[in-house]
Amino acid sequence: MQPGSGRSKGITVMQLSLHRSSRPSSRPESRTPRALRALAVAAAAALLPLTACSPVGGGGAGGSSSQDAGSPIAGTVNWWGWTPTDVDTAQGYIAAFNQEFPDIKVNFKLVSIADWQAALPPALRSDAGPDVFDMQPGAYVNNYGSFAEDLTPVMQKALGDDWQSKVAPAGVSGLTKDGKLVAASVGAVYSGTLWYNPALFDKYGLKPPTTLDEWDKVCQEFRSHDQGCFVQGAAGQGFDQDTLQAIANSVEPGLWTKASSGEVPWNSPGIVKTLDIWQQLFTRKIMQPGAVGYQQYPDANNDFLTGKYAMVMMGTWYTQYSTEKAMTAALKAAGVSGAKPFPILPLQFPDVAQAGNVSEMFGDADYGLSVSTKAKDKAAAETFVTWLSTSKAGQQAVADQLNDVPALKGVEPDFEQIKFVDPATQSAPVKDLLSKVAPVTQPRFALLTTDVQDAMLAAATSTATGSATPQEAADTLQKAAEAAAR
Amino acid sequence: MAGTTIASARPTAREAGADSGPGTRRRLRPAGYLWILPALVLCVGLIYYCIAYTAVISTWDWDGIDPFPEKVGAENYVRIAQDPIFWRTIRHTVVFFVVTFVVQTALGVVFAVLLHSRVWLGVVYKVIIFIPVVLAPAITAPVFRRLYAPDGQFNWVLEHVGLGGLAQPWLGQESTALPVIMAITVWQWTGLTFVLYFAAMSQIDPSVLEAARIDGAGNLRILASIIWPGVRGTTVALGILSAIGALKTFDVPYLVAVGGPNYATEFLGTYIYRKTIAQSHVGYGAALSVILLVLALTFAIIMQVRGREKDGVS
Repeated sequence: MQPGSGRSKGITVMQLSLHRSSRPSSRPESRTPRALRALAVAAAAALLPLTACSPVGGGGAGGSSSQDAGSPIAGTVNWWGWTPTDVDTAQGYIAAFNQEFPDIKVNFKLVSIADWQAALPPALRSDAGPDVFDMQPGAYVNNYGSFAEDLTPVMQKALGDDWQSKVAPAGVSGLTKDGKLVAASVGAVYSGTLWYNPALFDKYGLKPPTTLDEWDKVCQEFRSHDQGCFVQGAAGQGFDQDTLQAIANSVEPGLWTKASSGEVPWNSPGIVKTLDIWQQLFTRKIMQPGAVGYQQYPDANNDFLTGKYAMVMMGTWYTQYSTEKAMTAALKAAGVSGAKPFPILPLQFPDVAQAGNVSEMFGDADYGLSVSTKAKDKAAAETFVTWLSTSKAGQQAVADQLNDVPALKGVEPDFEQIKFVDPATQSAPVKDLLSKVAPVTQPRFALLTTDVQDAMLAAATSTATGSATPQEAADTLQKAAEAAAR
Repeated sequence: MAGTTIASARPTAREAGADSGPGTRRRLRPAGYLWILPALVLCVGLIYYCIAYTAVISTWDWDGIDPFPEKVGAENYVRIAQDPIFWRTIRHTVVFFVVTFVVQTALGVVFAVLLHSRVWLGVVYKVIIFIPVVLAPAITAPVFRRLYAPDGQFNWVLEHVGLGGLAQPWLGQESTALPVIMAITVWQWTGLTFVLYFAAMSQIDPSVLEAARIDGAGNLRILASIIWPGVRGTTVALGILSAIGALKTFDVPYLVAVGGPNYATEFLGTYIYRKTIAQSHVGYGAALSVILLVLALTFAIIMQVRGREKDGVS
C-alpha cells in the first residue's frame, strides 16, 4: 500500500464514477434557466483561474525586451542556482560584489541539482522567477536558453570586441546556442582525475597505480588489510561518464568526444573496449562492492572522507578539499566527530588500456550565469553577472575557492592566502593539476543530450551488473543515440 | 443560510426505491449551487481539467517549454507500447502489488487477531506497529540506504548471527534492489493494514465467535471460517488501495534507489518523472500518466464490481 495522498485521489475518482452509474439520477425533471445560469457561472469561475496555468505560450523568448532595464548600479537581483552548493560561498561572492556595488541587493536561492529541472521551468515562465540563474553546458542550454538574454553585448562591453580571447574557450562554446551566448561562464571544472589519501598508501607501503594491473594489485593489497580501495557513486550518470570518458581516452585519446559529436558510433570497437575495461573495474573488484547502488554524493564522498576508501573518482572541483578550511567543513558534513583534516592528492587517471596513452582530462564550464528575459532590474542583473564572470575581483573570489577554474584568463588562486592541510605535500601537485587544465579542449557534458546521458547510465550499469555484455550495451547506446538524433 | 432553502419534491419510483429517506426526495434550489462552488472549482478545475489537459499534452512532442509543441497524435502511445522499460515497470508493478499486498494482508490479519486477544502491553504494540505509517519516506529513505549499504547494519546483523554468507550489496544489485523496496513498503504500510483489520474485526458479533467455540471450533478454524470472511470487505478495499498505490509508487524506489540499478526499481511513477523532468519529454510523460490513470481506474472498477457481485448487489 502506498502513501495516502495518491490513494485518496484514486479512490475519489473511482467512487464518483461508480456512484454516477449506480445511484438514481439526482437531476430535477426540468432544470430552470436560473439553475443553468448558476451552473454556467460556477463552471466559468472554476475554469477561470486555470487559464493562467496554461503551460504553453509562456516561453522565454521576448520576455521583457520592452521593459525599462533599470539602473546598472541599483536594484534587486534574485539569483537561483544549484551551485555554489555552499551558501556561504555565494554570500562571500555577494559581499565582495557589494563592496563595489552597495546599492544592488543580491538574494541567492540554493536549489539542489536534483530539484533543478523541476523547479526552474515554472519559475522562468512566471513573473516571480529568478533574475539570474545558473546554466550548465549541454542539455540545460538547449532547454532553458530561450529564457536567457544574449550576453554577447554585455561581454563586449566588459572585455572589448576581442572578449572571446580573454576567457576560457570552454566557457563560450558550451554556453552558446544558435549564436546566442546564453550565460557568462563563472568558471570551469575538469575531470579525468582520481584523488587519493596518501596516508593510507604510506601505511601499507603502496604507490598510486598508473595502469589497470597496478590498480588491481593495489586494491588487492588494500583489501587484504580490510581497507577499502576505490569508491565511486556508480548510480549517477555524471560520474560514470567521467570514468568512462577517462577510460576511453586511455584506449584512444579523444575517442569519447568523437562519439559524443557523432564522428564515430557508440558501438565502435574503441567504445566496446572502454565498456569492457569499465566492466573489469567491477569484476576485478577495483570498484567497491555495490557501487551501482552508490551515489557519489553523499555516499562515495563520505566514504572517502571518512577513510573507508583510499581513492575516489573526482575532478578539479575536489581541489577545494585540499584546503584546511574546506576539508574540515567537509569532514563535519560527513559526520566525522572531532574532525581532523588530512591531506589529499590528485592522481592522473591510470592508463587502464595499457596502450601507453596518457588519459587526457576533459571539462567545460561548471556553470555560467544567465540573465532572465523577465528580469525586473535587468541592468543590475547584468552588472552582477559581469562582475562575477569578467572582473578580476569577482574571478579572484571564484579562483580562491578552488572549486572552479576561473573563466577569465590570467586569474589564478592566491596561494599566499590559501592554507593547505599539508602545504609541503599538496602545494606542488595542486598547482600542477591546475596548470594542466589550461589547454584542455575536450568537453565533458556540452555535446550530450539527456537522452544519450540516460542511455549511457543504462549501458554503464548493465555492464557493471553483468546483465549486458560490453558489445550489447554499446549497441543499445548507439540505438538510443540514433533515436535521440531523430 | 438564506440561499440553502430545501424543498421537497416528488421522486420518481426508481429514485424513491433507492433513497434511504422516507420516500420523499430533497433537492437543492438553484441558489444552493453557489454553496458547492468551492468543491466544484477544486474537482473540476484542479483535477478533471488537469486530467483532460494531460490527455491533450500526451498527443504532443513537447519539452515543456517550447511555445509551439508539435502535435503527433497517438505516436507517444505507440512508442510506449514498444518501450521495453515501460513493460519492465509494469512487471515491477505487478510483482510489487502481489508481494506487498499478500505480505501486508497476512501480517495485518495476524497482528489484528493477536491484539484482539488480551495481550500484555497491547497498546504499546499497536503504537509500534503503526508508527511507520506516519513517518515520511523522505525521512526514512536515507536510513534504509544506510541500513542496506554493503557495510550497513543489515549485513552487520547477518554476519553476527552466522549468516555472513548472505551479506551482499542489497541496493547495488538488480536481483535484490526490488525486494528491498518491497520490504521497506511492507514495513511502512503494514500498520495501516493492521488498523483496518483490527477495526473490521471489532464489528464481528462476539456471539458468533462464542457459538463457534461452543461448537468446538479451534482458533484456526474460527480465523478461516468466521473472521476472514467477516473482514472480506476490508480485504477488497485494501486490494484496491494497494493496486492503485502500486501503480503510483514513486517515493520509496526513487528516494532509496533512484529507480536503479539499471531500471531494477523503476515504476510507472519514477519513469514518468524521469521522462518528464529529467529528460524533458513532457508529451511522452503525459502519455504514461494517462496510461497510469486508465490502469488505476480500470483496476478499481473491476475490483469494486467484483466485490459488489460477491456481496450480492446487482
